[in-house]
Amino acid sequence: MGDPRVRNAFAFAAAGLLAAWVPAGAALAAEAGTIKIGAVLPVTGKESKIGGAYKVATEYAVKEINDAGGIDVGGARMRIDLRLLDDTSEPAKSAQLVEQLIAQEKVAAVIGGYGSQLVQAQSVVPERYGVPYVSGGAGATSIYGRSKWVFGVLSPVENLAGTQMEFLDDLVKQGKLKPPLKIALVYENTEHGKDYEKGVTAFAKAHPQEFSVVLDEAFELYAPDYRPLFTRVQAAGADLFMADAHLEDYITMQRTYAQMGLYHQMVTYGARGADAAARKALGAATDYIFASGWWSDLLPYPQVKAFNAAWKAANGSAPQWYHACAYETVRALALAIHNAGSLKPEAIRAALASLELKNSILAPGTLKFSPSGQAILPFVVTQNKPGDKVDLVWPKGDRTGDPVAPIPRT
Amino acid sequence: MSRLGAAAAAAAALAALGAPLLLGRGTLNDLWNLAFAVILASSWNILGGFAGQVSLGYSAFLGIGAYTTVLLSLRGLDPFATLVPGALLAAAFSVVVGLPGFRLRGPYFTIATIGVGEAVRVAASSVSFTGGSSGVRMPAGSFDFGRNYLAMVGLAIAAVAVAALVRRSAFGRALAAIRQDVDGAEALGVDSTRYKLAAHALSAALVALAGGLYAINFQYIAPGAVFDFRLSLSIVLMPIVGGIGTIVGPLLGALVVSTIQLKLLELPALRDSYLFIYGGLLIVVILFEPKGLVGLAGRLLAALRRASAPPRTAGAG
Amino acid sequence: MTRLLTVAVNSLLAAGLYAEMAYGLAVIYGVMRIINLAHAGIMMLGAYVTLTLFSRFGVDPFLAFFLVGPLFLAFGMALYRTVVRRLPRGGGAPTMGSLLLLFGVWLVLQNFAYLVWSGDTQSILTSYTMRSVSLLGVRVGVPSLLVFAASGASLLFLNLLLRTTYLGKAIRAVTQNRDAALLAGIDAEMISAVAFGLGCAFAGVAGGMLSTLYAFTPDFGRSFLLKSFCIIVLGGMESVTGVAAGALVLAVVENTLAVYTSVPISFQDAITFAILFAALVALPEGLSGLFARAPRLRGAR
Repeated sequence: MGDPRVRNAFAFAAAGLLAAWVPAGAALAAEAGTIKIGAVLPVTGKESKIGGAYKVATEYAVKEINDAGGIDVGGARMRIDLRLLDDTSEPAKSAQLVEQLIAQEKVAAVIGGYGSQLVQAQSVVPERYGVPYVSGGAGATSIYGRSKWVFGVLSPVENLAGTQMEFLDDLVKQGKLKPPLKIALVYENTEHGKDYEKGVTAFAKAHPQEFSVVLDEAFELYAPDYRPLFTRVQAAGADLFMADAHLEDYITMQRTYAQMGLYHQMVTYGARGADAAARKALGAATDYIFASGWWSDLLPYPQVKAFNAAWKAANGSAPQWYHACAYETVRALALAIHNAGSLKPEAIRAALASLELKNSILAPGTLKFSPSGQAILPFVVTQNKPGDKVDLVWPKGDRTGDPVAPIPRT
Repeated sequence: MSRLGAAAAAAAALAALGAPLLLGRGTLNDLWNLAFAVILASSWNILGGFAGQVSLGYSAFLGIGAYTTVLLSLRGLDPFATLVPGALLAAAFSVVVGLPGFRLRGPYFTIATIGVGEAVRVAASSVSFTGGSSGVRMPAGSFDFGRNYLAMVGLAIAAVAVAALVRRSAFGRALAAIRQDVDGAEALGVDSTRYKLAAHALSAALVALAGGLYAINFQYIAPGAVFDFRLSLSIVLMPIVGGIGTIVGPLLGALVVSTIQLKLLELPALRDSYLFIYGGLLIVVILFEPKGLVGLAGRLLAALRRASAPPRTAGAG
Repeated sequence: MTRLLTVAVNSLLAAGLYAEMAYGLAVIYGVMRIINLAHAGIMMLGAYVTLTLFSRFGVDPFLAFFLVGPLFLAFGMALYRTVVRRLPRGGGAPTMGSLLLLFGVWLVLQNFAYLVWSGDTQSILTSYTMRSVSLLGVRVGVPSLLVFAASGASLLFLNLLLRTTYLGKAIRAVTQNRDAALLAGIDAEMISAVAFGLGCAFAGVAGGMLSTLYAFTPDFGRSFLLKSFCIIVLGGMESVTGVAAGALVLAVVENTLAVYTSVPISFQDAITFAILFAALVALPEGLSGLFARAPRLRGAR
């Protein structure tokens, strides 16, 4: 490196690389008659599977609105100009891209990402600039209620657990399950898992006659051996087994569970249960497992049936909960802009706060945000039945079949 | 460094510091990221490059810096005042790890550092005072990107300067002796463990400072973000690609890897191939040019000189 | 008493599983002083190949090793010939270069799997996947039992191979003293290629068998890698019997803590890493040969 020519060559190379960093022209001004809306989603990286689905559904919803002539804002028809960026599942990059959309592209509102950690990182930004922000993919309560600009369509994970407990409580009232019931509660060591644990324990504390938690144990993701965990579950001698896990661990755990010959009157893996990959991996061992989710295509509303059909026609497969939630996020924001009647950030924010999206495809059919900014909607509960059948068993009024409880012993 | 080189470096530093006057937020964010990468690469190089002790556990120091800043800020300290305690804590932790760790040589040390990094991550997501896996937020308050930008770029310049100073000092020569032949160095009276510990502590402190600035700028941190093994990897990748043990190498490596991350991966065609790019880069560098881009440039120039030398002498004669 | 039996059975099963994961790593390390960071990637590839054999041709995952083994032997030898051989030799100690190079190979393998099989979660469901038998009153899944049996068979096979065959003796000769082996007329390059191939074959077969226990993605194996390191370090890094012993130590620690204490299960990984660190630092006996030899060779260079 002593040679000056070496250094010069470096200077050239470095200059070439730096040239790639020069901004490629200033951001284009919005066309007249359009609203710039930003979105930052994990299209690649470890959240890409569901993040990619959020992208498809977000673009689908925007197209639907634009095809219908755009949003009526104070009498003028305005089309949505969607600026969707990929944060590669990196929290730091996610926050920076939201900042870039707001500060540089001057978007009127931002649609937030998928995944608690990414949305956590994003959600500190809107407050700085005073721009409305709606996320369709994070249910962690700690995100909301800190800034008046942050809204979220996913109900809290605690409530997911709470809904499951109400469902179980209802089974007790019907006499299908006999109190007192001991619960073995295990959950992944993530924000999702901890919120789930909070939800279950809070309900059990409030209903000491019916429920008690006898095992409360966190586990690390992708453990090679779940036998030690299930040995503790076995020793706990519980009546109900409640877990919160993601897909891979659900499959590995349920295999271990079945092989160890464990039995509980009811079994759940939180949001997991009816996944096709799990049914393929576990076969009959998924029967009677119940699961909660933010949405199910089994909801018996006419708007859900219409959405299912239109989605299937456009995308070739049945919509999943994440498609529905991403879709409703765009619709909620569009309605708020319409209600605001202007593109002023404060007006859109106020319209979001007082929003009432009727004919929503989410249960119970109307979407509203709570004072914290997070929507608090009932969860649906499904139960797997033999022969690859899935029934919606909660909310009670929307049932497609009766819950089977307790699980028949084989 | 020659006068020309010093002038170029000063000009680049001034340009980076003055950039907020001219450039948009997106580009400034990219430059902020680049400065962050430069700090990590240059600091790691003090131990990994100069002393030849390759550690894959540097995310631990980054995380310690970031968490110290957030947790102390939540107790009312000024965020910038928390940087020094964070750096000291990371340096202290580096000694705790290094005292037993430096009894190991080469790859055994490396494997041990993977274990340490992962253990710290698991611990941070399991205990409650860190907010567990949910992470923690900075207290709401004034956020000033201009200040954050200057701080990060300033630290990057300082980190490179520190690395350059270390390399030229007696300390740096001792580290080089340890890298080349640890027993020979010991025989000459160099207390290798002490020097390694000092290099480890210095680089850990610099990385922790960067971690603190990271927390100040993002205002939210979680174990999955700051204790990420992939972060430890890219910290190692940058100096290796650029040229391990040099001053320019980590700079160049940071520039190349950041360019790939921030610019190339935006091309849809490359999106599904980023692991090919990283893996391929590693394989090519290790097999064909262990001295990295710096070594490659040196070889190219030597070849160029050999090719162009004879005609020039003929012309002169 | 039941608790003791539970710990015993669970520990043995886990030990078999952990050892099966680590043999390939130990074989390659023993002969070449290379830590195969691509190990997890090769296991992952083994799982996908087994899946393809199972879903396309109906080959049973536990019989697939007849195909997977030779395939990965060839793959490993090719990998050695094209890439690993070109590494600068580090004398008695593994070089940093080898670690990073093989890490690069791992990334490439992952990307390859993403392109071929996508990032979707895959799994294998056979007729006996959910079956179990009672062992001393403890219910044990049939696949876990088969993995344990395979692990025992691997241990036996490797010991026989290394002790009784010419190939094994040559491998051991190269392991102990490469230069002397060369002088004795052993084709050390060939032996290294075969040994690397053997290590990859064991990784591939292990991946195939693990595919019956887990759901997997191209990222499969990452969380097992540190455990495998811990095991080969505990086992003294060179002998396959040592691997089995190291696996047993780790398995017993985990299962004892789970049954007899209330240490949270989520600390399991942290405990593994702590054992790894402690074993590296405090058990130089297990590594004594290496520590004594490495500096001298390095000093001579």
